[in-house]
Amino acid sequence: MARTATRAQALTHQQRVRRRHLLRRRTLIAYAFLAPALILYVMFVVRPTFQLFGMSFYTWNGVSPTRDFVALDNFTRLFADPLFWKSLRNNLVFVVLLVAFNVTVGLITASALARATRGRLLYQLVFFLPVVQASIVTALVWKWIYQPDGLLNRLMEDVGLGFLTRGWLGDPNTALPALALAAAWSGFGLSVVIFLAGIQGIDHTLYDAAKVDGANVRQMFFNVTAPQLRPVVTVVFLLEMIGAFQTFDIIWATTRGGPVSATEVLATYMFKRSFTEAQFGYGAAVAVTLMIIVLTAALISLVIRERNED
Amino acid sequence: MVAITTTTAPPARASALTRFRRRRGAMIGLYVYLTVVAAFSLLPLLLAWMTAFKDRAQVVSNPYGFPNPPVMDNLQEAWTSGRFSRYFMSSVIISVISVLAMVVIAPLAGYGLARMRFWGREVVIGGLLIGLTIPVTAIILPLYTVMRELHLLNTYASVVITHVALGAPFFAFIMRAFFLRLPSALEDAARVDGCSELRLFWSVMLPLVRPGVLTVALLEFLWTWNNLILPLVFLTSENVRTLPIGMLLLTGRFATDYGLLSAAVLILSFPVVVLFLIFQRNFVEGLASGSVKG
Repeated sequence: MARTATRAQALTHQQRVRRRHLLRRRTLIAYAFLAPALILYVMFVVRPTFQLFGMSFYTWNGVSPTRDFVALDNFTRLFADPLFWKSLRNNLVFVVLLVAFNVTVGLITASALARATRGRLLYQLVFFLPVVQASIVTALVWKWIYQPDGLLNRLMEDVGLGFLTRGWLGDPNTALPALALAAAWSGFGLSVVIFLAGIQGIDHTLYDAAKVDGANVRQMFFNVTAPQLRPVVTVVFLLEMIGAFQTFDIIWATTRGGPVSATEVLATYMFKRSFTEAQFGYGAAVAVTLMIIVLTAALISLVIRERNED
Repeated sequence: MVAITTTTAPPARASALTRFRRRRGAMIGLYVYLTVVAAFSLLPLLLAWMTAFKDRAQVVSNPYGFPNPPVMDNLQEAWTSGRFSRYFMSSVIISVISVLAMVVIAPLAGYGLARMRFWGREVVIGGLLIGLTIPVTAIILPLYTVMRELHLLNTYASVVITHVALGAPFFAFIMRAFFLRLPSALEDAARVDGCSELRLFWSVMLPLVRPGVLTVALLEFLWTWNNLILPLVFLTSENVRTLPIGMLLLTGRFATDYGLLSAAVLILSFPVVVLFLIFQRNFVEGLASGSVKG
């Protein structure tokens, strides 16, 4: 024990120099490989992030060479701004509806798909087609479906629900859930695929054991599938949430936040304040709150993912 | 299974029959459910793709059926007087340059992160992990001022640079996952043979992660092709506009010309759908890897 220790120490003197040399060489080479990605990332993602926080302490119209430092004034105004709170509330409702749909329907569809004996790939392909569509396509297609003379009203008349028909995006009560459904349509195929991979990763002997114990399909879902899938569900839940909080395209391309700000969310409110009303400082304050919410959710998801891996 | 049922007593055989019936019933229910969900996914798109081939009279008289006869007027009008040929070229240029840049940058970074031990590695990985979640809508304001200072507004470069910078962390992690799967014996053998780091990367490692590079290229194409907010903010002059922006303008001007708008949808989604049908696995696995372990 003592002998090996002294030998190790004797060796390290020469080795340490060589090893340090090697590490320095390797560090240089590694950063050479990483340089293009890191430089772009630092210049056009990290730096703007810090600039955003800086901008939120000023009032600035976006063009003039001078800007006034107002410290936290933008934020105190923001927290007294009913439209900001409405945007935040709408954003939360949108997130809850979207995530609820994609997690529940996604999970049910994935478990149905896992039990299907044929055509699994074909169904998966169909569910995934909306995922690869541009958000502007999603927006446009659903705008037609929701028109007063659109597909949805037509279908409702056919099944005797004609008294419920309306311009779905023109009605402040239905516009937000209608857009959440459109957004869910475009993302739901991805959650199906992730859930399906999770289900297929479950140890089959658990189902055999449950079968031996006489469990039926429903019992197997709630007692085997659901608990085994909990980590996957958590990850999908958080990712959908992070995505849904940033929603901009689908709202901007349909209602622009209307009618009477019924579909205004943080991103559209930020965009209007900054680019249409030229209040860059105030817009930046909205963006900062959006950033903090998203980064907090992301941090939680990272912690949970790390824990799942142990 | 068959042997067991034939040798057991009559009551058991009856239960096997009901079990078979019940299972068949469940299977039918399962497929009915899956088909309803598939219709929900497919019909809105199908409706738009079909409407692209209908003239004005057909859009009114036959809004939900197949085009009869199919006409090319809408596509022609969108392509020429709707200026979609021009938007298409802008979109192609931006997407292709972004893809080319990304397939160089992402493998280099992914290789560095996966196969090298170096000073500051944890900090770099942590910094890039945060980058995965920084929302572009939040930093679009400072990005706009940065691009204005660099005099890059209304140039393709502004959109390309931002796309590549924003996508770099995600694609670096995708490539890292591919490089991590390679056995370390490869490097040891190459180093013994006196192979340089760059040669090792280029001739030994890179050819082994070709599927990863393909995935990076496809997803970067998908995102740049479909992206709305960057060209919306950076590209305001007519001659650099991309397809999504062209479509956004069209929805404002011709909100009820369903035939023309459908043609626009078709032009925008056709390249992506073709690529998706050919490379389904790469798209699905690549997009899912962003949410499962990277």
